[in-house]
Amino acid sequence: MIGEKASPAFLSICEGVIGMHDESKFDYQQEIDAIRKRFDFDLVSIALVQPAADQFVLTWQYASGNLNDRYKRIILHSGKGIAGMVFKTGKSVVIKSIRSEIDPKDLFKYPIIVAEQLQSVAAVPLWKNSRVAGVLSVAFREENQLTEERIQAFQQSIEPKFGPFFTKEMVEQ
Amino acid sequence: MTQMNDAHMSVLLKNLYMNSMEAIFFVGEQGEVLAMNPAAEQILDIDVIEQLHQGTQVSICQTCAGYTNEEAMLSCSNCFLDHNEGDFSSFQVYLNTRGQGIIPYAASYHTIDQERGIRVFMLLNLTRQFKTQEMLYRTNMTKYVIKAQEDERKRISRELHDSVAQELLSSLVDLRVLKYMNVDGVVLDKLQQTEASLTRLLDDIRHLAVELRPASLDDLGLEAAFRSHFKWIAQNYGLLVSFDSELSSARYSNEIETVVYRVCQEAVLNALKYANTDEVQVRLHEEQGDLQLIVRDEGCGFQPNTRDPKGTGLGLFGMRERAELVHGQLSIRSEVGGGTTIHLRIPLSPTRSEEGDAE
Repeated sequence: MIGEKASPAFLSICEGVIGMHDESKFDYQQEIDAIRKRFDFDLVSIALVQPAADQFVLTWQYASGNLNDRYKRIILHSGKGIAGMVFKTGKSVVIKSIRSEIDPKDLFKYPIIVAEQLQSVAAVPLWKNSRVAGVLSVAFREENQLTEERIQAFQQSIEPKFGPFFTKEMVEQ
Repeated sequence: MTQMNDAHMSVLLKNLYMNSMEAIFFVGEQGEVLAMNPAAEQILDIDVIEQLHQGTQVSICQTCAGYTNEEAMLSCSNCFLDHNEGDFSSFQVYLNTRGQGIIPYAASYHTIDQERGIRVFMLLNLTRQFKTQEMLYRTNMTKYVIKAQEDERKRISRELHDSVAQELLSSLVDLRVLKYMNVDGVVLDKLQQTEASLTRLLDDIRHLAVELRPASLDDLGLEAAFRSHFKWIAQNYGLLVSFDSELSSARYSNEIETVVYRVCQEAVLNALKYANTDEVQVRLHEEQGDLQLIVRDEGCGFQPNTRDPKGTGLGLFGMRERAELVHGQLSIRSEVGGGTTIHLRIPLSPTRSEEGDAE
């Protein structure tokens, strides 16, 4: 499952939407594989807003280190789930311990955490034209792996831009 | 009747006194207990009876907790024991009974010997009747609550779907028209972003409406409602529901369809929350004059009669309550490690449903 790519036709759609010149060279899968390796994450995934033909829904497009394909079925909703919170607020979310921060009764609302057996998660917004256009999420299957230093190092590695996206909210010309 | 002699009569009366389920007390002029039958002795505390046998004057007041009048459930004002003018041919009294605490009784208290002031106090235990009444009341209440909830959900759902979503859609169309007018690139970009967020908002509102109560359930029936619900479940939670319907778009009464839909919704949600699986099978078919719904998962299962349920434990209770509304039966089979099966049967035969309507 590791390193699986979306179909080429699909990629071309994404590029068409994003429509910037440096885009075609940006290989998301390669990038998240590299992030995963560098920081020892168990799972790295990207959700992107889809083109008009797909009603601009937010869905998971790429994953590295996933156990299964359940993430592909899911359509994210603004304000729901971890990626949904990041999308809605434009703020990063860090959950160092799923066990102690999320009530087990509410866990079903986080299907990716359940399906991928995650224990700690961080998610950051990806900005484009001063709007959140995607979410980059990193996770561990063990607790207490998501240390402050690691989060900082990861944040620094993707600043100021991750491919076509800004990783900080900023005023663009 | 006239032929019955006194001897015969006294035998009958004696039998009545000794064997009746009704507790009978004979009360003297001072309110003291003159005699009581075995059923009455069952009620009173042992030490009270002992006092009686020792010749100590005992009054009913020692075990009485009060009677029900217009003012209060348990009242001592205008006590029947010394308030002789009132009509105490039938009233409700609470006695502190042996081993069972305070229990309601239907009572009557009247004079049987005017000269010596002897009165009889008869009691019939009301606990069972009260329980029956309470059950009846609760079932009716549940029906009303469920109906009120469904009606209100339908109202809000329609409102969202017909007015809010419609208004939003027409604004969205206006916005799209703007794109084809002579506007420069920056504005076009902004327009596209606004269109994207409005489209998502419209989608969210529609989902909200369907979640409350799917219009398709009222307009198109169970099968259509289920298909869109399961699609939504897959998109939101990644749970795959394999749906197998043999109804060929048959329609049933609104009440039955609501029950089947809600029970299935709850069962699938339970599987999602607790079964630790990402596949559920749902089968809907008619058999032996019953409409049958089977929801099956191969998940971790549970102990059906456990004392500490995962979650509130109200979900299964609610499913049963709903099933009973349409005289349906719900069976839940599950074992740890062996998955769970929910089986709902609802009788469709017209005679029975007419009975249901008549109630």
